[in-house]
Amino acid sequence: MAAPLEGIRIVEMGQLIAIPSAMKMLADMGAQVIRLESCQRLESYRTDSLYQNDVEGEFWNRGANFYEQNRNKLGITLDLSHPAGLSLLRELVSISDVFTENFTPRVIKNFQLEYEDLRGLKPDIIMVSSTGYGFTGPWANFGATGPATEGASGLAYITGYRDGPPMMSEIPYTDYTGAEHTVFAVMAALIHRQQTGQGQFIDVSQTETATATVPEALLDFAVNGRTAPRIGNEDPQMAPHGCYPCLGDDRLGDDRWIAIAVSSDQEWTSLCQVLNRSEWMRDTRFLSAEERMRHRSELDRLIAQATAAWQNHPLMHALQEASVPAGAVLDAQELLFDPHLRQRGFYELVAHHPSTGMPALPYAGRPWKFSATPAVPGKAAPIIGEHNRTVLAELLGHSEADLAHWEAEGVIGYAPANPTGTRRPSLDEQVRQGRLQRYETDFREQVSRAFGEGNVS
Amino acid sequence: MAPSALNGVKVLDLTHHIAGPYCTKLLADFGAQVIKIERPGGDPARSMPPFCQDERHPEKSLPFLYLNTAKRSVTLNLKSDRGIHILRELAKDADILVENFSPRVMPSLGLDFPALRELNPALVMVSISNFGQTGSYRDYRATDMVEYALGGLMYIFGSYDREPLKHAFNQAQFKAGTNAASAALMALYHQRSTGQGQQVDVSIQESVASALRDVTSNFTYTGAVRRRQPNHSGDLTRLRAVSDGYILPNPGIAARVNWNTVVEFLEAPELDDDKFRTPSARLENAEELGEILDRLFLSKNKMDMFYRAHQKRFIYGVIDSLEEVMASPQNLAREGFVELDHPVAGTFRYPGAPFQLSETPWDGLHPAPTLGQHTREVFSQCLGYTEADLEELSGMGVI
Repeated sequence: MAAPLEGIRIVEMGQLIAIPSAMKMLADMGAQVIRLESCQRLESYRTDSLYQNDVEGEFWNRGANFYEQNRNKLGITLDLSHPAGLSLLRELVSISDVFTENFTPRVIKNFQLEYEDLRGLKPDIIMVSSTGYGFTGPWANFGATGPATEGASGLAYITGYRDGPPMMSEIPYTDYTGAEHTVFAVMAALIHRQQTGQGQFIDVSQTETATATVPEALLDFAVNGRTAPRIGNEDPQMAPHGCYPCLGDDRLGDDRWIAIAVSSDQEWTSLCQVLNRSEWMRDTRFLSAEERMRHRSELDRLIAQATAAWQNHPLMHALQEASVPAGAVLDAQELLFDPHLRQRGFYELVAHHPSTGMPALPYAGRPWKFSATPAVPGKAAPIIGEHNRTVLAELLGHSEADLAHWEAEGVIGYAPANPTGTRRPSLDEQVRQGRLQRYETDFREQVSRAFGEGNVS
Repeated sequence: MAPSALNGVKVLDLTHHIAGPYCTKLLADFGAQVIKIERPGGDPARSMPPFCQDERHPEKSLPFLYLNTAKRSVTLNLKSDRGIHILRELAKDADILVENFSPRVMPSLGLDFPALRELNPALVMVSISNFGQTGSYRDYRATDMVEYALGGLMYIFGSYDREPLKHAFNQAQFKAGTNAASAALMALYHQRSTGQGQQVDVSIQESVASALRDVTSNFTYTGAVRRRQPNHSGDLTRLRAVSDGYILPNPGIAARVNWNTVVEFLEAPELDDDKFRTPSARLENAEELGEILDRLFLSKNKMDMFYRAHQKRFIYGVIDSLEEVMASPQNLAREGFVELDHPVAGTFRYPGAPFQLSETPWDGLHPAPTLGQHTREVFSQCLGYTEADLEELSGMGVI
């Protein structure tokens, strides 16, 4: 069965996450995504988080972050500062359905690649510009990182431990929020075009997409003039509701935790029973939800003492069997090998280009499953310039001589102009610095045992 | 006025709480006709705080008011045969049905996908659940925090020496709602070209786990397991307190290639010292550097520093309070907040369109419906029911 977006062609001038991640989602579902790169201005995700931390050889084809964001795409290199490069991009746009980019507006304007320009090439083109703060307005040309938009959206301000400063997550979280909304925006525009034949320009502000997801706090301020204090993992309505320490083990080490949420008297009783603390059920401080809310600090202290005698997975299963919402706080390895996600085939094995010397590796799939039109089989992100010939010769019909000429002129290429790989400190050093919880030397064997050919669920 | 992008798309909305309603809000705000089916007591989100003026009232829950703009509300008792019959009638004419019950519920009502497909082969059924419709955790229970834990975001989030943390409020559910809306339209796109409907299974856990950078890959590439990061006080990109709030510094590559630019920007001659000139020197003297930076930043004004930084193309960020978010010049210029007038809750500003479409206007300016506000209208328009039919159904407790 064909994937649902088969027949849609997208030209992507993306970088890092906000657009690349969104276009990966569309590529997974059958769209042909042509990812543009520059040999002159290499994307940093190509040269960081390298396979086995190896900066030798063509290391730029071994960066984890690039592989995570660019599955199922075709990759071409074009130097847009060269007239021939820009002209090839325009040619591509003229045969495409969607053009997407996430540079600051200044860049797109310099290249004369604004919506009005592109509409002249392809009247029904859909164009997406995804920026930190929006394509218009006084901050339009301000560059932004994920943490910056997390801060500008209000999300960081309301997040954090009780009495602590604002906190941000350890990933460019709002880049993904922007990406998820971008997928929706492109699909809404495609549905409209399917009905009417009309294209349009989509202006995504990563900050605004994040603001759209914190209405509880923003409306409380707008209506009641209130900014509620930061409360960590607590919940305004439930107690106990928190993250509690658990027993470590020889292999995983310490730093083991469980999240437990209790929303009713029934769940409270079950929690006391599972933790074998029936005396709490009679404790007047904890008799009702209101009382538990009032004495939540004392309650958290007692629960932490009790959970410390358990390993988190057995405790999660015991609590869930008793209908208490609970989850082990999974680390990277536990997440990758989580039995439930394995049963659902969430991590998907993807083969890499032979020149990389990398084995097939599992990558996170999608948050959805379609019953009739599943995703396309996973194909690794392109090595640099991998599809120059496919796209420029086969798709656009240029000759081998043209390609050779452009290669000689530096318009297209197969290697970065000035590559610098980021070698991270050794794993031991990263453990010493406290950046890693642990590392496992037999990770290749573990991965291949779980996901190797023939073992894929 | 031009039509909205999703005009003509008919959505039957059986959702409640947050993830499902955010999905159907996105569809409704961009022009789809959404009929929200509420149980006779209403969507439980109607009792979700905070409330307008802290008044616990089914029309005054702020999350509910936000999540249900531009929808029509119909009450229907799905525990009655007539209620099920009516729902089946409505499903015959829908393009998309969205639900976020626990996975046992729809089959127990006789409304699983095979049954619905028989009524309407073109129907796209979107099911959102905590852990998906299959697998051993299918019936496990969750709150947003539990999804953070089992989705892999919590372990790496928070202070080095404290318990893992989650974002405030309901981020995992908003992610799943957004993903569900995208998936619904992908399936609709296919349906419109082929006539074929299908079921889409959206998992909140997988919504968290599919949006992590370099977490499982760090393990598959090197065997490393990341944890919550230590906060070196000399880190140049660490969040710092300024005189009037917090700022997120980011001197970018300048710190690596030209330390003087940084010294000059910070107006801190004491940093013009070999102790701080290179990344390795700064790491060695992190504590001293941190003390200087902490003191220095406390004397700065947030917005002044932010604008000066961007003149130099340092990508500084602001940590804005809720008040500052709503009053920021960027949000004001882009009309990021819009005023809606609700008959019971009153008039106030809501977060507006999450993105702008140039040719098809956003349609989110209609306030959330009161409970059952459109029951008569929908039943007479869509199903041809008469006043007498409606009286009878009301008497039977079906609506």
